[in-house]
This record gives sequence, structure tokens and C-alpha cells, in this order.
Amino acid sequence: MLIYILKRLLIAVPLIFGVLTLTFFIIRLAPGDPAAFFIQPGISPNVAEQIRAQYGLNDPLPVQYFKWLASVLQGDFGRSFSRSQQPVFDVIAEALPITLTIALLTLIANFTFGILIGIISAVRQNTFLDRFMTVTALFFYSMPEFWFALMMIILLALKFPFFPVSGLNEIGAESYGPLGFLLDRAWHLALPVTVLSINGAAGIARYVRGSMLEVIRQDYIRTARAKGLPEHVVIFKHALRNALLPVITLMGSSLPFIFSGALFIEVIFAFPGMGRVTVEAIFARDYPLIIANTFISGSLIVLGNLFADVLYAVADPRIKL
Amino acid sequence: MCEKSAGRVSSVFRLTGYLLIIATMLTLSSCNRDNNSKGNASKNRAAMDSTLVISMLGDADYLNPVIGATVTSSNIFGLIYPSLLQSEFDTTTGLMNYMALEKKLRSVTPGQGKKAPKGAIARSWRLSDDHKSLTYILRSDAFWDDGKPIVSADFKFSYQLYGNPVIASARQQYLAELVGADKGKVDFDKAIETPNDTTLIFRFFKPVPEQLALFHTSLTPLPAHRWKNVKPDEFRHSPLNLTPLGAGPYKLKSWQQQQEISLVSSRKSNLPKPGNIPAISFKVVPDYTVRLTELQTGAVDVVENIKPEDFTALLKANRKIDIKTVGLRVYDYVGWSNIDQAEYRKNGIVKPHALFGSATVRVALTNAIDRQAIIDGYLKQYGVICNNDISPSLKWAYNNKITPHPYDPAKASALLKSEGWLPGSDGILQKNGKKFSFVLYTNAGNARRNYASVIIQQNLRAIGIDCKLDVQESNVFFENLQSGKLDAWMAGWSIGLEIDPLDSWGSDLKKSRFNFPGYRNPRIDELSELAKQKMDPVQARPYWLEYQEILHRDQPITFLYWIRETQGFNKRIEGAELNISGTFYNVDDWRLRPSANIAQ
Repeated sequence: MLIYILKRLLIAVPLIFGVLTLTFFIIRLAPGDPAAFFIQPGISPNVAEQIRAQYGLNDPLPVQYFKWLASVLQGDFGRSFSRSQQPVFDVIAEALPITLTIALLTLIANFTFGILIGIISAVRQNTFLDRFMTVTALFFYSMPEFWFALMMIILLALKFPFFPVSGLNEIGAESYGPLGFLLDRAWHLALPVTVLSINGAAGIARYVRGSMLEVIRQDYIRTARAKGLPEHVVIFKHALRNALLPVITLMGSSLPFIFSGALFIEVIFAFPGMGRVTVEAIFARDYPLIIANTFISGSLIVLGNLFADVLYAVADPRIKL
Repeated sequence: MCEKSAGRVSSVFRLTGYLLIIATMLTLSSCNRDNNSKGNASKNRAAMDSTLVISMLGDADYLNPVIGATVTSSNIFGLIYPSLLQSEFDTTTGLMNYMALEKKLRSVTPGQGKKAPKGAIARSWRLSDDHKSLTYILRSDAFWDDGKPIVSADFKFSYQLYGNPVIASARQQYLAELVGADKGKVDFDKAIETPNDTTLIFRFFKPVPEQLALFHTSLTPLPAHRWKNVKPDEFRHSPLNLTPLGAGPYKLKSWQQQQEISLVSSRKSNLPKPGNIPAISFKVVPDYTVRLTELQTGAVDVVENIKPEDFTALLKANRKIDIKTVGLRVYDYVGWSNIDQAEYRKNGIVKPHALFGSATVRVALTNAIDRQAIIDGYLKQYGVICNNDISPSLKWAYNNKITPHPYDPAKASALLKSEGWLPGSDGILQKNGKKFSFVLYTNAGNARRNYASVIIQQNLRAIGIDCKLDVQESNVFFENLQSGKLDAWMAGWSIGLEIDPLDSWGSDLKKSRFNFPGYRNPRIDELSELAKQKMDPVQARPYWLEYQEILHRDQPITFLYWIRETQGFNKRIEGAELNISGTFYNVDDWRLRPSANIAQ
């Protein structure tokens, strides 16, 4: 398996490099100018030109590419154009912990509730409970996240002000002490994580239900029951483990989400996470930041797929890598 | 083996694991914080009572006056840094007034002059008789927050930074009149002299009107002793940008990028005094609906640019909110290509545009558009019909004798007929086989312009003009506009408080960067030059009156409406004076009423 993993990682290097090269050219060929902000009345016409010179945008495209390549090979992805010329990885390092927190909390809630609802639906197939859960899951699954978030804000932050509207902490939360500060942070994360996980759990529940239904009709489940095993052992130990294979694929593909952030939620709840970094970089034509983000998300997609394949083999001994 | 080990993990253990992960993550996301004392709800209330919270759409770019280019940045660094002069917009005349401790440019009209000159570093000034040198006498009791005195050398040092092409300051055009600027490079040795710590002399290569001289020489200074060792090519990413050293009414307490900028009143400041409100927090809230909700819940105190459609619901929901307006500084317009842009781009030849090349056609288009309907339907009392780009707020220059082109479709049709545009079999106007059909472009994400463009489309359809609508991403729209690829578009301008129209309407299309329609009228160039030569702006009034008549007659674009920008304020704020020069121009004088006393 180790050789398989190494092989996959080696193949990933030219793949990611190709993605970065494509991104480099696509963003530069797309309309828009990183110095466009400086073209406005009241600002000297020289400024945009000076800014372009600073960013090295006046060189011909191939020269820009080779300069970029030389610095990337040394591990330097450059400085952000739009965020006070901070090194791009500093910008990402600031946004990442916030995104990680929300995403991991969401994933845990997603999979816990998704799997639970899926199992109940499958075991109680065609009962009122199953139908109710199916309809509810579909209802939330088809709901746009930004709309759902705004509705939750209006209901639970404005009409019944149980939760704060936005931000990571209250003004002056530094004086609450470590525990108070953590509780305040959890209070601020409650709404966004709920919105994200209700939406995600609904999707996972559908997968688990389908997969469980297939598995519990198998002969070995009948055998397990015939042996006289208690029902919960049959379901959780024999059926669930086999039914989780498609869910593992989902887990693998969730890895990029953990790092890329949930844009709408970050905009609505004013969290400065990766989603906002990426989209604001695109709008500002912040080339170095766009490329660094592409690098991170590209690498994670590759790693996520690899992770899912490895998990398959771990979960199902029949699969050999 | 995996199966066995997985089976051994008890559910209790798993639950504990989950809880641990959650606690770790919360800690992770809350690291870098100062956690010292115990917390409770009353602390929160106390914090709120002493903190003014202003919401902002995005973060400041730099808290450094040399390179901070956004309005948000200048709102904030304006509170941190001192200024050479105090300036104020006189709403009765529409003129800027500049004040030193012992001198004012103009006498203050009764009811005006809310801003005390105490914040000025200049004690007085003297402009030479030939208007080519300006001498400031500085006060000797002004100090940076680290205790070092503010001296004339700080200003010279700062102007060298503003003028350095490597630093690329957005304010470098303020140096355009200094000695050497006419030859392409300011000669700082001759242009700015500092014979002693309290004397600062600026020298110009040409006579400069006093108001312009004061405006251009009062750029915000940086402390030279702190910045002198920073190389120009490292200036933009110097760590000093994160810890600004100022002398103004507020100091930076913390800057959590993309989240919040916290200022605290600077107790030692005498420029003009420590800010009244102990703390000001500028909080980034990117989503408009969320900003409104936070204004309603009291989580923020000020939200800028509230849409008129939200006023009723907002005021009904919360009586603690007040809507305040500032003067008319922003207008929307429909741009028409006066010239054939493709021909001009290709061969440099100026040819009238096939549809919009004639002034009569453009006047007809303005007659065809029901501007009042757009105002009544969207802006209501916060919109005023716009005739040209001199704001009614600039009273000294505004021509109030001009009657707006009325909404008159019959007149529009007659004018178009006189130009040879006649209805074809499909009802669309035609001339020499060419249909009057075009695409009206606008930028994405502006509800007001979307609303207006639909009405414009209907109005034009009613007189037989086929107008299709297209919305483009802002960067793409702007690039297309600049490169002359659009025949008709809808956009807006925010005007400066000094009138200088050559960038927008100058006949030299290579020099006038914002003359997107390609309008050319030599008289406009003459009038602008004549006005610039007057040493007192008020004497240039006749030129500006004529300028407005010409624009009204030629209609290079259809001016739609001026917008009264509307800001939402929590009523606990007292003493807020909004002014066309900025919503926050006297924020250091604002006060907060304690929460218990707020009228419900």
C-alpha cells in the first residue's frame, strides 16, 4: 500500500503543477486589471502604472511565467496584491484556523446526524418515520444555504435573539476569561454550524439510507439474525460497516471543503475564512493569492481522493491496493 | 485486525473523543487572544456602552496615509494621525474652508464652523503675493504618541514618500504644483524647505490659488523618526504599517484583519483632544442584510448606504434607529458613445457614432427617459434630478437657472424624426436601413441601476428604440468601458469637492482618461482653463455657469439623478454632524448615551 501511495503522490506532482500553470495563464488572460482600483478620478494616472511595475505585470507573459516559476520552485508564492502585500501563505494561515473550525465541526455534525438518520430511515423503511425523515431531509437538502442562513438569522437572532448575528466574538470578549471566551465563540458558531450541517446531514442521510437498504437484504445479514444476534449488533456491527463504503468516498471528497471554506456562510456571518479569501482574491484579480489558493485546493482534492481510496482498503479487506 | 480494534472502541470513549475535538477546535480558532479576567454579561454591557461600533463592507487596506487608498482606510487613519490644517465644507456656500489655529481661509458663516481648529498643527500660514510660495508656522506643543515633537521635517519627509514612484502613493497628484513637478520630478530641496522645526515652506512652479495650495499642502504626515530606515521598496509591506504611530484623538488598539479594527481614545492627545467615546470598533460585515439586522439588534451603531427600499421596515422595526443623509455627491448616468469607438481605436479617426453621434438624438433620449419615475419608484426623497456633473451642494458654482429636460416622449419622437429616424415595419426606428437598436450595459450587483435600467428600457421601447440589457461583472465592465467597447452603458460617479472636469470632458481623448463617451467641445476646455487661472474660485463662477449650459445642451450623457447617501444611526449616538466631506468627519466629538437611557 505504501508503494501505491507514493506512486499516487508522484503522479500528483505534475498534475498539480499543470493545474497551476493553467491557472496562471487563465487568470492573466481573463479581463480585469489588478491595478484597476487606482484608475479613478483624483488619483494620478501614474499610480496604476507604478503599481503594475511593482507587481511585475508590465513584463511579457512568458517572462512573467518564468519569473513566477523560479520563485514557486523555491517555495515562494509571492505577496498578495490586495491584502497589504502580505506573503500569500500568511493570508491563508490567518484564514485557515477559522475555516478549519467551522468545517470540522460541521463535518462531525454532518456525518453523525446523517448516518444516524440514514440508519433509522433504512431500518424503519416505508414507515411514517422514514417518510417524514425523507421529506424533511429533501426539504433541507434542496434549500439554498445563503437563504436558509438569512432565515435562521431573522428567526433566531432578530425575532428571538438567542444567538448573535455575525462575527466570531462579542465586542469586548477578551475580558471574559478563557472559558467565557470559548463559550462566547461557541455561541457565535452555533448558527453557522447548524445551517451548514443541517444541509449536509440531509445529503449524507440519503446516501446512508440507500446503501443500508442494499446491505440489509444481503444473505450474511440474514445469517447474523439467524444466529440469534441482537438487532443492534446486526445493524451497527454487520450492516453499517459495509454500508459505509460510499460514505467514505464522501469523507474523502469533503477534505477540500474543510480547507476551502463555505463562502456564503462566511460572507453572511462575517467570518474571515478561506471562502472569502478566495472569492475576494478573484474579484480583486489578486493573482498570487488566486494561485496559492488553487495550489492548496488542488493538492487537497488529490489528497482527498487518495485518502478515500486508502480508506476503502482499510474498511474492506477485499479491496487490495 | 482493524475490525477487532474498531469493535473495542466503546461509545463512551468515542463521545469523549468528539467533545475533546470540539474543545480543541474552539481553542484553535480562538488562539492569539488575550484572556486575563473573568467575564460576565455586565462586562459586555459596559463594553457596549463605551464602544461605538461602525460596520464596514470590507477591511481597510492600509492604516498609513501615504498608501491607504480606500475611503474606509482614510476614515480610520484620519482619527489616528494629526493634520496640518482642519478643513470643513460650508454647506451654505458649498466651499471648503481651511483652518489653522489662528487663521481661517474664509470667515465662517453663522450656523457653520462645527469643527474647532484646535486639531491643526499649523498656527498660521502666509501665501506670497505671487502665489508661488506658502509658509506655514507650526505650533511647538504637538507631539506624536511616543512623546517626540511633531516638526516641519516630518512634513518634508512625508511629502518625499508621497512623491516616491516606488511607493506609488494614490495621493501623488497633490504634489503636481511643487517646484520640479513640471519637469517630471519634484525637486524636494527647493520645493519644501524647513529652516527650523516650526517653519515649513512649500514652493510652486506656477501661481496657485490659495484654496488649492492649502488643500494640496495639507497631506497627513508620518513620523520621520519611525519611518526613516524603511526602504521605499519595503514600504508597502513594512510591519510598521500594522502599528501606526499617530497623534490624533484615537490610537490603534488592535487590528484583526478582515474582522475588526479597534481604536481607543488617545488620552494624551491635544490634536484636538482625546476622542469623547472611549473606544471605536470598525467591524467588517460583508453582507448587506446582516448589516441591517445588526443595526436593528443594536450590535452595530452605524451602517452606511442603506437602500431607500429598506427604510420603512427598518424604522418600523426599531425606533432606536435614525436615518441621516449627507450632501449630493454621487450621481448615476447613462453613457452614450458620442464617437465611433471602433473606428477611433483602429485608426485614431474621430467619427460621430451611428446612433448617438448627434446632440439632438442624445437630447431626445434624455427626453424619452422618465427620470422622475425612477426617483419616485426607488430613491424617493433621497434622489434629485441631475442636469450635469456640478452638484447642487456646490452652491457657489451650481447653475440653478437650468430647467431639466422634461420627460416628453412626443418631443423625443419629434426630435428623432427631425434627425431622420422613422419607424420601420416592426415599430423600431430606422435610418438608412440601420435600426435604432443597442445594448445597455451595467455592472452586476447594483439594485438601483438594475431598477433604473428596466425603466429606461421600457421608456425607450415606447418611442421605438430597441434597448437590450446586459449586466457584467464589475472588473469586466470597467475594462470594457475603458477600452471603448461599449456603445451605451449605465454607471455612476462620485464627484470631488474641487471642480476639475478635464479628466471627464477634455477634448484630447488621449489625456482625458474618463471621457468614455468621447465627447469633444473646445469651449469646455477653454472654460476649464479660464477657471483654473482665477486665484479665487468664486470668481470662476461665470465660467462654470456657462460650462453647465453647454453640457445641458450637448447632453454628452444622460445625467439621471443625484443620490443623497443615507446612513443608519443608532439613536444612542449624539453630536453626529454629517457632512458632504464624510460621514465620520467629526466622530471624535460624538458621544454615546448609556444603554439604560435610550428612548424606546
